[in-house]
Amino acid sequence: MLWNFLVDRWGQIWFASWQHFSLVVQSLALAVLIAMLIAFLVYRVPQLSSIANGVSAVGLTIPSFALIGLLITPLGFGVAPSVFVVTFFAVLPILRNAIVGLGTVDRSVVESARGIGMSRLRVLFTIEFPIAWPIILTGVRISAQMVMGIAAVAAYALGPGLGGFIFSGLSRLGGANSLESVVVGVVGVIVLALILDLLLLGLGRLTISRGIRVSH
Amino acid sequence: MTDTLGAETTRGETALAEPVRGDVPGGARSWRGLLIQPIVVALILAGFVVWLATAHLSPTERSTLNPHDLLAYTGQHLALTFVSAAIVLVITVPLGILLTRRPFVRASGVILALANVGQAAPAVGLIVLLAFWLGFGFWAAVVALVVYAALPVLRNTMIGIQSVDERLVEAGRGMGMSALAVLIRVELPLAVPVMLVGIRTALVLLVGSAALATFVGAGGLGLLITTGVNLFLPRVLISGALLTALLALLVDWAGRVVEHYARPKGLQA
Amino acid sequence: MSATNNALAEAPESVTVSTSATSTSILLDEVTKRYPGQAKAAVDGITLEIPAGKIVMLVGPSGCGKTTTLKMINRLIEPTEGRIKLGDEDVTTIDGDELRRRMGYVIQAGGLFPHMTVASNIGLVPKMLGWPKAKIAARVDELLELVSLDPAAYRDRYPRELSGGQQQRVGVARALAADPPVLLMDEPFGAVDPITRQRLQDELLKIQDEVQKTMVIVTHDFDEAVKLGDWIVVFSEGAHIVQYDSPERILAEPANEFVENFIGSGAGLKQLTLNRVKDVALADAIIGHPGEAAVDVLERIVAAGHDHAVILDDRQRPLSWPSRRQLGRLTTISASADPELPVVGQGSTLNDALDTMLVSNAGAALVTGRRDSFAGVITVEVIMDAIATARANARGTAVAPVGTNTDSLQIVTDGAA
Repeated sequence: MLWNFLVDRWGQIWFASWQHFSLVVQSLALAVLIAMLIAFLVYRVPQLSSIANGVSAVGLTIPSFALIGLLITPLGFGVAPSVFVVTFFAVLPILRNAIVGLGTVDRSVVESARGIGMSRLRVLFTIEFPIAWPIILTGVRISAQMVMGIAAVAAYALGPGLGGFIFSGLSRLGGANSLESVVVGVVGVIVLALILDLLLLGLGRLTISRGIRVSH
Repeated sequence: MTDTLGAETTRGETALAEPVRGDVPGGARSWRGLLIQPIVVALILAGFVVWLATAHLSPTERSTLNPHDLLAYTGQHLALTFVSAAIVLVITVPLGILLTRRPFVRASGVILALANVGQAAPAVGLIVLLAFWLGFGFWAAVVALVVYAALPVLRNTMIGIQSVDERLVEAGRGMGMSALAVLIRVELPLAVPVMLVGIRTALVLLVGSAALATFVGAGGLGLLITTGVNLFLPRVLISGALLTALLALLVDWAGRVVEHYARPKGLQA
Repeated sequence: MSATNNALAEAPESVTVSTSATSTSILLDEVTKRYPGQAKAAVDGITLEIPAGKIVMLVGPSGCGKTTTLKMINRLIEPTEGRIKLGDEDVTTIDGDELRRRMGYVIQAGGLFPHMTVASNIGLVPKMLGWPKAKIAARVDELLELVSLDPAAYRDRYPRELSGGQQQRVGVARALAADPPVLLMDEPFGAVDPITRQRLQDELLKIQDEVQKTMVIVTHDFDEAVKLGDWIVVFSEGAHIVQYDSPERILAEPANEFVENFIGSGAGLKQLTLNRVKDVALADAIIGHPGEAAVDVLERIVAAGHDHAVILDDRQRPLSWPSRRQLGRLTTISASADPELPVVGQGSTLNDALDTMLVSNAGAALVTGRRDSFAGVITVEVIMDAIATARANARGTAVAPVGTNTDSLQIVTDGAA
């Protein structure tokens, strides 16, 4: 029965999966930009850093379902609250890791770079960022796993993605194909999470300089 | 799922070569930092109560938001959270300890991978899926929540124990302590800080996920959210969301307090 | 750290440490350790006799198996073949935990449990053995005094509050807690700075004077081996015993090129590590006390023909060493201690004494004996004389204990006496 379900609805499933995946990926990309921006601004000031970390900690405490509920009123249903919620939660682990990652760059390395005449921005992009990147990437992986699940909950606000299968299966409980619907939703999210994690791992392999690679 | 640079907790804290540490502004050392959270929560809660008493609410809203029901929902929510937490602890802490013992180290990879999958599954999906099998109600939700929250506790237990300096274990055995004595008197006490962070993370995760338990008829504050959506009652919706968030913050704070006081003296990092 | 000095300020004059009357000898009988999957054995059939009440040093290059050998004595590593005897008792197969409770074990940096106080750390083995609380508390205090840490100040501290040297002392105290007849140490002084290391070595020698345990110590530092050891085992790869003899004989007659290389060049000056300060003639000094008129002290110096006076406190410990000129500038002798006073203990080697003199730019150093009380002055000339005499008498008296290899590979030149 599950097999029939898959075959019959393959188009729908594929589409929803694709939407789910791109929601997550795009939100992650946006989150990385936001997190890095904030991190660049605060990492050299300890008080600001700890405020940022504190906000991150508090943010992670907020239940995603609650946040979606809160956002339905101002943002309505559909894509908007989903993107907002997913991006919001994605930022938090990345921000924390970015601050820590930038903090691991030895001050003397930065000094020598400035000493040979590199500008502040150039040092940031060619030295500090690449060194912090492995840790940031770890944060991205954590975020990715986390928001894969959150994106599913976002379907409650009629957002895009595989969550729809879960909720429609729920609402038709006992009815035809309701279980299959939910299973497709759950397994689909797991599979997407695995795929994304592998992709990110691969990205890490490609982009992390061998000099600082951590061997697993 | 391969492990990252150290501890990876989904809703967790920094993943570095060091296992997750509590990240309170001011650090675990300063109890003053611990005061901010409950004060803020109390203030917001007070504001909410005031608003509830004085705002112009429609009859339906009034009836949904009556204090008696609110307390009931909160009670259900806490019950879901703590019963699940207790079960998670009973299962994963011994399991985590077991998996760090030498004969089982290879099994740990497999088990961790399984637990990882449990975490990758969306909480709502797990809850609904298990409801199909176990029927609606409190216990079905609990089972799903246990599966979902197992990973942080398991992982932090294992990492906490593994992070104890090998030489201390050697010193203990060298003194004539049995392997069990070393586990109980050296490894576990030193692993407690990290384990407690994992437990706190799991608790917060559970509060958030327990909100989804309404979908399978287990009650809880999530009911306010779904009612608010279904009946187009935005204020009920916001109330539910707000109360859930506040509860999560409160549980998080309670966890930090326990962490602070349960930290073995002499380990104040 | 100055905390140690403060601790000494409060410690009482005399300490009697209750010890067992006998310490035990150890015998490793054709002991082998083979790890699965490795062709060559880590320890290939050695027979080693460790006499009771003596300090035996195990030295050798990194990875030669000396630590493995040590750990087989208390069976932290179980031997693949062979027997281990403690005194007359064959302990190869008894319960490992029980055996280890009968031996003291010290590792680098103390291995103190960070979540327990100093007192809890030290009292661990007695507690496991079921001693009553009062007895444990008394023993803890006794041991803290033995390692020169004031019990009142240190018993409730946590390890992270202690310096490396203090942690190591507590580690030794912990190993001695249940009064074991045997003490095993694995590079115990490797993790501290050279000055602290010297002090700790001196402490260990003082302790051994009082307790006379059988000690087996692993070190990669040959100078340390010469300073501390009654006997030295030189290992090469595979825990192969190259030479097992007294420090004097090894220095005078190294068995082969390997041992020579290990000793390093300048073996002649190694004589400096063989002789102790207390073996040489110390010069007297004019003594003054805080509160005296500087003029009086100056008169006494001039009368005796000295250039300096030694100022002692009420416990006869040296505070400062003013010259005639400095005394001329004072009215009263002050009680302040000179932090850079060149002081060396009686048990220290001549090497240490020379080091101290060089560091202080003086041609002499103050010698302290029991409880840091002043014992005399040692000069460079005296040391030079001592070296010349020692070189002429480079012979020990006792016969070296048994130390042979029973491995498959016969290495030529086995020069044990």
